[in-house]
Amino acid sequence: MSALLEIENLTKTFRTRGFFGKVKEVHALNGVSLTIHKGESIGIVGESGCGKSTLANLIVRLEEPTSGTIRLDGKDITHLKEEELRPLRRRIQIVFQDPYSSLSPRMTIGQIVAEPMRVLGGHSEAEIRERAETLLHMVGLQPGALARYPHEFSGGQRQRISIARALMTEPEILILDEPTSALDVSVQAQVLNILTDLREKLHLTYLFISHNLAVVKYISDQTVVMRRGEVVEMGPSDRILTAPSEKYTRELIEAVPMIGKPFRLLEDPAESL
Amino acid sequence: MNETAAAVRPSRWKEIWEIALRNKLTLTGFIIVGLVVLVGLLAPVLAPYDPNLMDIPARLQGPSSAHPFGTDEMGRDILSRVMYGARISIAVGVIIVAVSAAIGVVLGSLSGYFGGKIDQAVMAVTDMILAFPSMVLALALTAAMGPGLLNTMLAVIIVRIPMYTRLMRGQVLVQKEQQYVRAARTFGEKPFWIVARHIVPNCLTPLMVQMTLGIGDAILIASSMSFIGLGAQPPTPEWGAMISTARVYAIDQWWYAAFPGLSILITIMGFNLIGDGIRDILDPRSRK
Amino acid sequence: MEPILSIRHLSLSLPVKKGMVSILHDVSLDVAPGQILGLVGESGSGKSMTAFAVTRLLPGGGREKIGGSIRFCGEELTEKSEKEMQAIRGRDISMIFQEPMTCLNPVFTIGRQMTDVLMTHQKISRSEAMKKAEDMLTSVHIRQAADVLRCYPYELSGGMRQRVMIGIALSCRPKLLIADEPTTALDVTVQAKILYLVREACRRLGTAVIFISHDLGVISQICDNVAVMYSGHIVESGAAADVFSQPEHPYTRALMAAVPKFTVSAAAGDKLFAIPGIVPDPSEPMAGCRFAPRCPYATEICRTRPPADTVTGSGHLVYCHNWETAVSSAGNAWGKGDEA
Repeated sequence: MSALLEIENLTKTFRTRGFFGKVKEVHALNGVSLTIHKGESIGIVGESGCGKSTLANLIVRLEEPTSGTIRLDGKDITHLKEEELRPLRRRIQIVFQDPYSSLSPRMTIGQIVAEPMRVLGGHSEAEIRERAETLLHMVGLQPGALARYPHEFSGGQRQRISIARALMTEPEILILDEPTSALDVSVQAQVLNILTDLREKLHLTYLFISHNLAVVKYISDQTVVMRRGEVVEMGPSDRILTAPSEKYTRELIEAVPMIGKPFRLLEDPAESL
Repeated sequence: MNETAAAVRPSRWKEIWEIALRNKLTLTGFIIVGLVVLVGLLAPVLAPYDPNLMDIPARLQGPSSAHPFGTDEMGRDILSRVMYGARISIAVGVIIVAVSAAIGVVLGSLSGYFGGKIDQAVMAVTDMILAFPSMVLALALTAAMGPGLLNTMLAVIIVRIPMYTRLMRGQVLVQKEQQYVRAARTFGEKPFWIVARHIVPNCLTPLMVQMTLGIGDAILIASSMSFIGLGAQPPTPEWGAMISTARVYAIDQWWYAAFPGLSILITIMGFNLIGDGIRDILDPRSRK
Repeated sequence: MEPILSIRHLSLSLPVKKGMVSILHDVSLDVAPGQILGLVGESGSGKSMTAFAVTRLLPGGGREKIGGSIRFCGEELTEKSEKEMQAIRGRDISMIFQEPMTCLNPVFTIGRQMTDVLMTHQKISRSEAMKKAEDMLTSVHIRQAADVLRCYPYELSGGMRQRVMIGIALSCRPKLLIADEPTTALDVTVQAKILYLVREACRRLGTAVIFISHDLGVISQICDNVAVMYSGHIVESGAAADVFSQPEHPYTRALMAAVPKFTVSAAAGDKLFAIPGIVPDPSEPMAGCRFAPRCPYATEICRTRPPADTVTGSGHLVYCHNWETAVSSAGNAWGKGDEA
């Protein structure tokens, strides 16, 4: 199996200037390396500030990496100019967390879903419409949805629309940045099932980012645990959950509340500054 | 899942009409502005006299069946002059707002979206203009360029641009961080189209509110300038200019200043009423 | 133990543009001192509204209609005036929310805000109040409490802010603490500590707690009793251990089957259970059980008559006409994942 996406030593440092011009550096991502093969589903799990979303933003180049390389099919795409990157953007798409702000309230679902293909160019209106209908059907929405506005849909339905939009350009890699975190459990189950079906039907490669270990376990074959901008441990999801080798991973698993799991008496419930 | 296909939706204009009907005050605003525009457009048909026809023997007559609004010091029919005045005032208001908003939107969008040097330059000029009281600045500019309606309009436009620039820049800064704008970037959408297709439409509501209120303001400023003698020059039947001439007769011939003044008041009120209600009309969420 | 709060047949209607909308129907609950009652449900289930009805912090501008009875410490809260409720809210009932930042004034230090409250209520000097505030923070396991008092709210982490809020909420020794999704915005490791804190405070001080959450795992771990809510109704209630080990309402069972667990994975062919259909709009009138349109066990009676409470074999209450059918056909209709 050849590597589809290779991330090597990726680092992102944010510089903020304080009140008196004092420069503060925040290492959002610190030397992360990751290889994703075609057809894999990789889960990235970690608590807030661990750098998981920064990693997603760097891969789709919403932000520029400070150092390191990103290779797609062996080709270095880290420093491509926007014009050179444009044809490659088709291959990597992203779904964001917030189902409310990820769809423009002024556009109809038809316009929203058509966007990526329209930007790509070279497709007739009819082709775009047909593909939009096919994808909406695949995510369980009626074609009538095309003429409606985002506010007419529930959070779960909007998230499915976001997924349909991301799939318009037939991407190979779909990055899912906390796609179900804002949803109710029964709706989350719907979206996760749809994602599982789509992956099978369209032979997609997933990079699934979540703070929820159980969700990551459900959707991905490989799990990467991150903390403070670094990879703590990675491996097959089963192994990470049943036999974690790092203390932090164990703590994380231990802290997840589960039905039927007895309440844990903490040795040290205190928190300090 | 079980969405029903979208029912046949009423056309957009019908929806706008229904929302306007729901709010009585907004509807009043629309009726007032509609009437003023209609009167202005049809002035040549509706006006009983030529607005500049002098009839010295009939000078300074009070309201009568022949002259419902009375006559001025040259015996001209005030009703006819007020009707023609509607033309000028509406045109002045609309042109000032259209031009200043267009320039302001472009500058504000550039400034907000790209930031950096462009932003610093645009905001420096904007802040400078905003530092002056707008009336005083408009006065100074007109005085420098010379009196006249066109110069007044130009001056008011310059004074008004920064308001739209400011508003637009703030809106763009907010919209830029919205997920749908970020999503558009991941499709490879070019910056121009991101601004034009995603950001500007979502800034329209506050912009339209500001613009509608702005028409009223612009009419008021332009009339004030004419009143001081810098704007429209007599015998142009401009409301502000008419009141200016009427000052001398204000005590004995009340109708001379009253009717143009009332016209200004009603017109501005009409625009303000629309401005208050327009938010509901433009928001797609307020439609069913 | 004698319940400190006893809600019977509570109904609530809120004013909307046209008329009123029923938000809660026939809600009955008991909370005893030193016990935690969990209210669990998805968005729109009415779990937060139940708590707001108790404290009467309702978004109706005084035009809301409350029916039924809310007895708190032997007094009927539904008959209290707004002024009397204000006194009860500060003293006997405390609340903590999901986002503690919104309850703290960003321009004052934590110490200043805490001492201001203490000084007005207890007529003590600033230094005495400061000492009390420090004790308060120490009691919620904050190390360096004196340093935290000197901080501004934005300088604290989410977990620390929630600790401060809990400390403030418990400072007047309330008889009832209402916690509305207090850990939803926090990381799991921080959440574990906050849950520990709430439970410990409840046991140590004998405070009754209503803990509201959408997370079944959280509820199952810290609550003694639980009420599962759906569309303004309680569908099942009882001891948490019973309800979660033997869920008997089709909705509870469906909800549990929808939660991803460590034991299931898509790669192994497992499917999560997704409840068909959507939650009904509260304004939609329904003659029978509100879950009936989405329930595979629904029969004619479900569509015509609202279910009454029934004591089941495992000793808890379930509001369902056909719970026995649902339980006996275990797992079939709801698919795999039910047993976990």
